[in-house]
Amino acid sequence: MSAVTSWLQNVTASCSTVFEGLSITFSHFFRKPYTVEYPDRMETRVQDTLPFRYRGMLEVDLEICTGCLACERACPIECIVIDAIKDKATGQLMINRFDIDLAKCMYCGLCSEPCPTGSIHHTREFEGSDYSLESMMRRYIKFPVAAYKPKKTGEDDPEIIPVLERGMRFLDEFAQPAAKPASGTTSSSGTTSSPGTTSSPGTTDPGSGTG
Amino acid sequence: MSVELEIHDSQGLPTEEMTLNMGPQHPSTHGVLRFIVKADGEVMRRAIPDIGYLHRSIEKIAEKVGWHGFMPYTDRVDYVAAMACNQGWAMAAEQLAGIEVPRRGEYCRVIAAELSRICSHLLGVGAMGMDMGAITPFTHALRERDMIMDLLEELCGARLTFNYMRIGGVAWDLPHDFVEKVSHYLDHLEPVIEEFNQLLGYNRIYVKRFADVATVDADMAIAWGLVGPNLRGSGVDFDVRRDLPYSVYEDFDFDVPLGSGEMGSIGDCWDRYIVRMREMVESIRILRQALAGIPEGPVIAKVARNFKPPVGDVHVKIEAPRGEQSWYVSSDGSEYPHRVHIRTGSFTAMGIIDRLSRGLMIADLVAVIASMDIVAPEVDR
Repeated sequence: MSAVTSWLQNVTASCSTVFEGLSITFSHFFRKPYTVEYPDRMETRVQDTLPFRYRGMLEVDLEICTGCLACERACPIECIVIDAIKDKATGQLMINRFDIDLAKCMYCGLCSEPCPTGSIHHTREFEGSDYSLESMMRRYIKFPVAAYKPKKTGEDDPEIIPVLERGMRFLDEFAQPAAKPASGTTSSSGTTSSPGTTSSPGTTDPGSGTG
Repeated sequence: MSVELEIHDSQGLPTEEMTLNMGPQHPSTHGVLRFIVKADGEVMRRAIPDIGYLHRSIEKIAEKVGWHGFMPYTDRVDYVAAMACNQGWAMAAEQLAGIEVPRRGEYCRVIAAELSRICSHLLGVGAMGMDMGAITPFTHALRERDMIMDLLEELCGARLTFNYMRIGGVAWDLPHDFVEKVSHYLDHLEPVIEEFNQLLGYNRIYVKRFADVATVDADMAIAWGLVGPNLRGSGVDFDVRRDLPYSVYEDFDFDVPLGSGEMGSIGDCWDRYIVRMREMVESIRILRQALAGIPEGPVIAKVARNFKPPVGDVHVKIEAPRGEQSWYVSSDGSEYPHRVHIRTGSFTAMGIIDRLSRGLMIADLVAVIASMDIVAPEVDR
């Protein structure tokens, strides 16, 4: 008798708890769906909804690279290779080579931290699949360029000012976003906090450094 | 390895035990795990864990990449809860060099680590359901986990390999409306945890699968060196955060949930499940206090790029989601650590499976692995 009772109790308990669970599942028919149909049915590109600090593919603004090799030294896996040699004739520091092996890079962000001008920084681009390993090597320099020299009086070249401002924004925003809410507030979606940067980092082609 | 057991069937005829292979590629083993199962029909005589498939020699890498450069590698020790490993490494290096972390930095660390703990436990309990054949709770758990990962992505720019902490503090301060966002999320999470218990935890079928299976009593748990939720599931009242406080955990008021044998006996699989669920509630309590009490100030102390701690060695313990994680770091005064050793919770949990599996059904092996919340890369490092 007791065996039958406990069997029946088990059956009723199983059924009732299963229906309890099913009621929760059923309630999800009336809740907001969380699914995101990546990539083709998104309202905005995923890259534009990512937070500003997102560590995507690396990008270098060669106009403001000082050739200080801080990023090369900080990289734990040596995926950045820079050749900077002082030109004997002009006395200027020339950068002959600036390669980033994106296949090796682990997107840790250690290189962008010590950069004094924000020249090397992460974009919000992450779709990096390619057909060969060679094409993952980003060579930023075709002809040697002179390294950027910060001026004591402040930058006055109108072509470099916007690039430098953008670089410094990367540094500021990473360091103290609480102190500098740059411009505007975050959007209501709750996943993005990218004040005033929707145009610059995500959309630039990483291979377009000045040659 | 060889258990020579004379087995006789009911007529007294000698038979052989069956040797089965489970893994390394198996949908219900978390990561690349392999078990050699010696079975007599449905009943296991032994399940011998075979580890080493995910060995990446992370400890050796530390000797080659230097103090700052090792931080991203610690993310890969336990990728489900990378924040805890970050903290362990940072704390070890700080203790060696005697660096004082600013208070705000410590609070940032606690917030990040507790979010990461909830994240890890959600995956753990979700996977427990999935291993028992309940797919829906897994999707619910992953949905919540994804929202936490969105928050952490905003905080440190990555969803899994955070690399958020640095020697001397944390890399970046909280984004400007992060506190509101997290408190808003915690309000949302609290009812979800209750709902999750209703959906999975108190489900009769689930309870029957988990209760009284693979019971570990307190003495056995201590003898086999279980740590974290697995230890507390057996009723041993020990939590590194409370008993050997590090960081700023002294400031917070929280309970340590223990297994009490509600559905079966103390230390069964269901106890290990419910301890994780209750720990999430405690993490929410800690997070609320941390968010309310976060002080102003810098988040990182000044540490030289060319960081060279003095000669010596240090042993740091932290409470990672998978239990006490200890870091032994030895320095010879150079810019590279002399030796690093990491002791993780999954390793001992993996060790006890051999003992627990004797006499269990083959189907219950999955329940044991799931309830121990074993993450394969953490076993091998």
